[in-house]
Amino acid sequence: MIPALAHVGKNPERRPQRRRSLARRTADVVGRAIADLLQNEDHARASGLLQSLDPRVRLATVLVMAVTVSFLHTLPTLALTIIATMVLASASRVSVASFARRVWTTAGFFAVLLSAPAATGWISPGYELLGHGALSITAPGVLVASRLILRVVAGAGIGMLVVWTMRWSDLLGALTALRVPDVIVATLAMTQQQIVSLMRTVENIHLARESRMLATGSTAENRQWVVGRMAFVASKSLKTADEIYDAMLARGFSGHWPTLRRMRMSGRDVLWLAGLVAGCALVLGADRLIAK
Amino acid sequence: MHIPDGYLGPQTYMALDAAIIPIWGVAAAKVKKTLRSKQVPLMALGAAFSFVIMMFNVPVVGGSTGHAVGATLIAILLGPWAAVISVSIALITQALLFGDGGITAIGANCFNMGVVMPFVGYYLYRLIAGDTASTGRKVVASGIASYVAIVAAAILAGVEFGIQPLIAHTASGAPLYAPYPLKVAVTAMASEHALFFGWVEAFATMGVVAALAKQDSALLEMKPASKSMRWVWAAFAALVLLTPIGALAEGTAWGEWGTDQFQSELHMAVPAGLEKLSGLWSAAIPDYAPSFIQNPLAGYLVAAIIGSAVVIAATWGIAKLLARKRDDADTTHPSAA
Repeated sequence: MIPALAHVGKNPERRPQRRRSLARRTADVVGRAIADLLQNEDHARASGLLQSLDPRVRLATVLVMAVTVSFLHTLPTLALTIIATMVLASASRVSVASFARRVWTTAGFFAVLLSAPAATGWISPGYELLGHGALSITAPGVLVASRLILRVVAGAGIGMLVVWTMRWSDLLGALTALRVPDVIVATLAMTQQQIVSLMRTVENIHLARESRMLATGSTAENRQWVVGRMAFVASKSLKTADEIYDAMLARGFSGHWPTLRRMRMSGRDVLWLAGLVAGCALVLGADRLIAK
Repeated sequence: MHIPDGYLGPQTYMALDAAIIPIWGVAAAKVKKTLRSKQVPLMALGAAFSFVIMMFNVPVVGGSTGHAVGATLIAILLGPWAAVISVSIALITQALLFGDGGITAIGANCFNMGVVMPFVGYYLYRLIAGDTASTGRKVVASGIASYVAIVAAAILAGVEFGIQPLIAHTASGAPLYAPYPLKVAVTAMASEHALFFGWVEAFATMGVVAALAKQDSALLEMKPASKSMRWVWAAFAALVLLTPIGALAEGTAWGEWGTDQFQSELHMAVPAGLEKLSGLWSAAIPDYAPSFIQNPLAGYLVAAIIGSAVVIAATWGIAKLLARKRDDADTTHPSAA
């Protein structure tokens, strides 16, 4: 098998005994990011609940939910929000298992790690549940840590709803409709395309090195090679910008960014928004009652 | 350093979201003035570059790797205002496309990495590199600037985390968001960036600047930000004048205890080695309090002025020395250039 293509396919050949080289590790990370992008686009094309809403309403939904979560103080309401994000994911044809795995293995895992010291008597002194002294697990500490973990997981779940149910073109359309300056929207649109292009370049650079390597090389050699490739990508980016600008001028670019997309909110969208705001107000009210 | 949702309370993230909007407005106006309609592809490519540079694993020591943010590098290549837009768009894209960084924390992340890093990095680079044509001095300047810039942004993120228990807590005092006090949060953020990520940032920036100087030195021509450096010095002087605020804080930073405080803070005996070495060096101005000034706030201010002057002089001297060595090496081995 050609080494450069070893990572392609569902069951790539692996050599578990040997540590992967730096080039292979970076190529894998970039390859996974490209695959994630394509997979997210597939999810966003599905005919689910959130996908059927007007993009502006979808954007408002996640913003309202994210802000509401930041105002919640009690564990039951935070847990309820997590369940709500999973229900929304399921109704939007996103696998709940993949959704939960993604949220917990990224944000959830780090939240657990970061909040662990807060559960001890060192940060949160109080009634000791386990152990004694600064390293004991205390009741107020467990409450503080649990609150942080649930809040972070709820926030990450809401973020993933945007990532998995919103096509990039829909997001740009929503931003345009919300009167975000067209220069920003146009830059965002071009950025997404250039990110994919540059990621492919970076992946190919690393795969090319992997295919030519006989030994892993020293840290200093690898570092020199990596920063050299970074310089190449920087130089290529700036030169590509000049070429793109010339191509835009050749096609009659005059500094304005007209959009062809016309968005119309249906009665269903308005109903959804009203229900969402009412639901969030209810959760906030319940939160304050429980806190008392 | 990407802050996810949940760590910052509404008082903090809303203030930073509100602060970043006018900064983007000024940045867009400045960039339009300097780059005109060419700005969009250039900033988009800058943002895409900022995004992918974070995917390069830079080897540091002992097989460990880290990734750079690249904000100082982009500020050197495009100018600080264009870097504000490029890095901010890269961060927004990361949050919305990959779920990396929180939605409510977009303002905080863009402020820390998209404003503080490019500006601190750019002006420090400009201060050290000046108008030199020397590659060595530019490389050294870029390394120092990017290191200081990422540590400054990390300290700011630490402050944002650390003020949460003070401004958002329950009636019993339990924190509602990031739970660690200021001294723990700032120490943790500053130390991990000063000891590890700062070096990754410096290695990456220096390497790219050195390689670009060989491949296409025109890319390193200084991009305009303002007509003079006077306001940078004015801002620096204002910061020095504000230092007495630090004297208002109670206690000692976590982990910076003397032998007397060690016992009271950790409730353990002072290790023999620490006790033995504690008297090895007596500082010229202990506790930022010059002996010849009685007023503690005035003493703090004078200590800040003396310290700043020493740091600037030392940085300047080291940069000149390293640049001269590198230029001598280039002259001796012209084939290397």
